[in-house]
Amino acid sequence: MREYYFAGLAVIFLATLIGVAIYYSLRARRSAEASWDDLLKRLVWIDRDKITAIAMDAVEESGAPRSDDEAFALDSLTIWTMLGGMEGLDALEQNCGILVELAAYLQRWHPEALVVAEQLRLNAREIEWHVGRLRGAAQTGNLQSSFGDYAQRAVVTYYLMTRHVLELCDRASFPGFADLQRAL
Amino acid sequence: MQLTSFDRFVWAASFAGNLLLLLVLWRRGRAQSFPVFTAFIASSLARTIIIFWVLRDLPRDYRFIFWSLSALDEALQLLVVYELAVHVFRPTGVWARDVRRTFAGVAWGGILLAAALACLDVPATTDPVQAYFLRGNFFSAALMSELFVGMVALSVTAGLPWKTHVARIAQGLGVYSIFCVARDSASSALGLEHAPHTFIVLSHLRILVYLACEGYWIAMLWQEAPAPRELPESVLTQVYALQRQVEYDLTRLRSWRRP
Repeated sequence: MREYYFAGLAVIFLATLIGVAIYYSLRARRSAEASWDDLLKRLVWIDRDKITAIAMDAVEESGAPRSDDEAFALDSLTIWTMLGGMEGLDALEQNCGILVELAAYLQRWHPEALVVAEQLRLNAREIEWHVGRLRGAAQTGNLQSSFGDYAQRAVVTYYLMTRHVLELCDRASFPGFADLQRAL
Repeated sequence: MQLTSFDRFVWAASFAGNLLLLLVLWRRGRAQSFPVFTAFIASSLARTIIIFWVLRDLPRDYRFIFWSLSALDEALQLLVVYELAVHVFRPTGVWARDVRRTFAGVAWGGILLAAALACLDVPATTDPVQAYFLRGNFFSAALMSELFVGMVALSVTAGLPWKTHVARIAQGLGVYSIFCVARDSASSALGLEHAPHTFIVLSHLRILVYLACEGYWIAMLWQEAPAPRELPESVLTQVYALQRQVEYDLTRLRSWRRP
C-alpha cells in the first residue's frame, strides 16, 4: 500500500516540477529573445507630469527629501486620485517589471553596465515590493492608513529611477529612446 | 559480475564522453569559469576507469567502491548547483539582496521536501544497505531537481539573466535529475523483484539520458556565447557616475518617512 502512496506523491511531485520548469523556462526564453524595442512596446503609458508632481511633493529635484513647510502637501486621497487608484499602481508595477527586464537586457548585452543595471533592477524590485504591500493593505481593508507612505515612496523611487534610466539611455544613444521617454 | 555488450558500450561511451567534455572545458577555457563542474566531469572520468578496474580485479569490493564513488558524485553535483547559483545570483560579485533569503528558503524547503519523499520511498530491495543508498540517491535527485527548477523560477521572477554556458550546464543537469527522480520512483513503485526487466530498462535509459546530456554539453560548451555589445568609454564613465547617484538616492529613500 505504501508503494502506491509513494507513487502517487512522486507523480504529483514530478508533474509540479515539470510544469513549473516549463512555465519559467518559456518566460526566460521570451525574455532572452526580446529585443530592446519589444520591451519598450510593452511599457504602459503613465502620466509623467502627475508622477513628477507626487514625487516633487516629497523630494527635491536632486532627490533629497524636502524639509520646507510646503512639503508633503498632498494627502492620501489626492495621491490616490492622481495615480488613478489601484489601476494606476498596476500600471506602475507592470512598468517596473519591464524595467527589470530592461536591466536584464543591459546585463546580458552590455556587461560593462552590469553594476548600474543591477542597481536599477533592485530599484524596480523595491517598487514592486511597495506596490505588493499596498495590494495586501487593500485586501485587508487597511489601504487608507498605508497608502500615503507606501504609494508616495513607490512613486518617488519610480520617478528617480526612470529619470536615471532616461539619462543613461539618452547618453548611451540607445535605440528607441524617444519611445521610452514617452512611456515612462 | 558478467558484463553484457550494452554494459561495455556504455562504459566506452561514458569514458569517451567524459574525456571529450574535459578536453572541451580545457581547450575552450571554460574550466576557469566552471572549476567545480570540471572537477565533477574529471571525477566521472576517474570513476569509469576505477569501476572498470575494480570489476576486473577486485569484484568482491565492487559494491563498496561503487557506492562510495556514487556518494562523491552526488556531493559534487550539489557543489555544481552552488557554482551555477553563484553565476546567476551574484552578478556583481555579491549575492543579489532581493534573492538571498528566498534562495536560502528554496534550498531549505527543497531539503525538507526531498527528505520527506525519501522517507516515504520504499526501495525495491531486501538489502538494507542497498535500500539506504537507493533512498540517498532518490533524495539527491529530488533535491537537485527542486534546486534547478527553483533557481530558474527565482531568476525569472527577479529578472536575473543566465549566461549562455551556465544555462546549458543547468539544463543538462536539470533534465538528468528530473529523469532520475522519475526512474527511482518507478523502480520503487514497480518493485525490483517483481519487474527486474523493467528495472534494467530504466537503468539503461538513465545512462542513455546522461550520455545525451554529455553530448549536449560537449556541443554547447564548444560554441562561444553570443558576443556582448561594447559601450563607448565615455558612456561607460557616465554609467558608473549614474550608478553612484542611484545608490545614493536609494540610501536616502530607505530612511525617508512621511511626517
